[in-house]
Amino acid sequence: MLAEFSYRAPRTRDELLGLLAESDGKRKIMAGGTDLLVGIRDGALRPSLVIDIKKIEGFDRIAFDSKSGLSLGPAVTINALLESGIVCGKFPVLAAAASELASSQLRNRATVVGNIVNASPCADMAPPLLCLEASVILASASGVREVLLRDFFTGVKKTVLRPNELMERIIIPASMAGCRGGFLKLKRIKGHDLGIVSVAMIRQGKILRLAIGSAAPTPVLVPDLPASASAEKVCREALKAIQPIDDVRCTREYREFMVGVFIKRLLERN
Amino acid sequence: MIRVQLTVNGQLYVRETDENKTLLRFLRDDLGLTGTKEGCGAGECGACTVILNGRPVNSCLVLAAEAEGAEVETVEGEAKGGKLSPLQQAFDRHHAVQCGFCTPGMLMSLRHLLRRNPKPSEEEIRRAIEGNFCRCTGYQQIIEAVQDVTGQLKKPGVLRHV
Repeated sequence: MLAEFSYRAPRTRDELLGLLAESDGKRKIMAGGTDLLVGIRDGALRPSLVIDIKKIEGFDRIAFDSKSGLSLGPAVTINALLESGIVCGKFPVLAAAASELASSQLRNRATVVGNIVNASPCADMAPPLLCLEASVILASASGVREVLLRDFFTGVKKTVLRPNELMERIIIPASMAGCRGGFLKLKRIKGHDLGIVSVAMIRQGKILRLAIGSAAPTPVLVPDLPASASAEKVCREALKAIQPIDDVRCTREYREFMVGVFIKRLLERN
Repeated sequence: MIRVQLTVNGQLYVRETDENKTLLRFLRDDLGLTGTKEGCGAGECGACTVILNGRPVNSCLVLAAEAEGAEVETVEGEAKGGKLSPLQQAFDRHHAVQCGFCTPGMLMSLRHLLRRNPKPSEEEIRRAIEGNFCRCTGYQQIIEAVQDVTGQLKKPGVLRHV
């Protein structure tokens, strides 16, 4: 049995922000619930109130236009992303990462915003979103602010999000539409598993850009490289940007080795 | 307590239940539908898979309160009039069941697959059950059961891996 909490499912954004405004830090937003309910079950999280945001109209919206880019609402699930023609057609690196995330059951529930807010170093959606220059819209009863995703993560499961704030949108600039790219993730099994290390890569004009998961306290964006950079140079720069550790899943050395392998494979394919 | 009204296998239920109760516990304890199993309780094993509004989910990671107004399908909806569904019969024929603990979840993931894709490839079958762990069969008999029920075995009904 889960520890006791109350449940509310507000119908409007205002009602939701009102509930968060009175938060004592013990009110938790639930989107897909796939991290939240596990955290409650383990005793790591002890919310007094769980606020389900899935009943709010428009929160599951995926929208794209050639001026404002791609916008993902806070209840957009990973499978909704994979079923979106716009995402698969214009942002293939996002779809590549989404298809590697967990199992079909979890992808039906887990959200893109939840994956980012949870701020695990191994968050599968973080490396492609970092490559795509994503920014996030954080809303509270007192206003709205926009933060670049590269400034959002501050540590393992730590972010700049305040307890009374909602991440109400992820935005990818329209200029990133059509970027070629790929995502590779090391797992213990072919089926669903947490990433041991992962690499996302995109090419945009003369720029080659990489981001790496599970190789530092936060997902890491590697400084831009010229599209013509050699594999050796790309690997050197990537290894400079990360600080992998030995842990229960594998050693630092193996993570560094696999980053190099993935970079070479991605360069060959993209 | 919270009032929940939902449909399970086509039947309407209205119950007062705890706000912190999972859909899995609600199905088993409040409705007495114990076909759905709890394995890990953390979204890893898929034993608790049910179809929620047309999509397979881990019912251990859904609150009963969230399912207000929902349509839920569980393993109890497979057999009709005391007769196993063709998919269940294929599981039986191919020894796709050993201890049986993963079977209700397997059936729900595969039910969803067959609705979208009446002739799935082996890779598509494997992908559909990537979130359902089986520690007995090694999966092969489960895959063959699906190939049989979809008319894709050269010798239907013949056991290959027992």
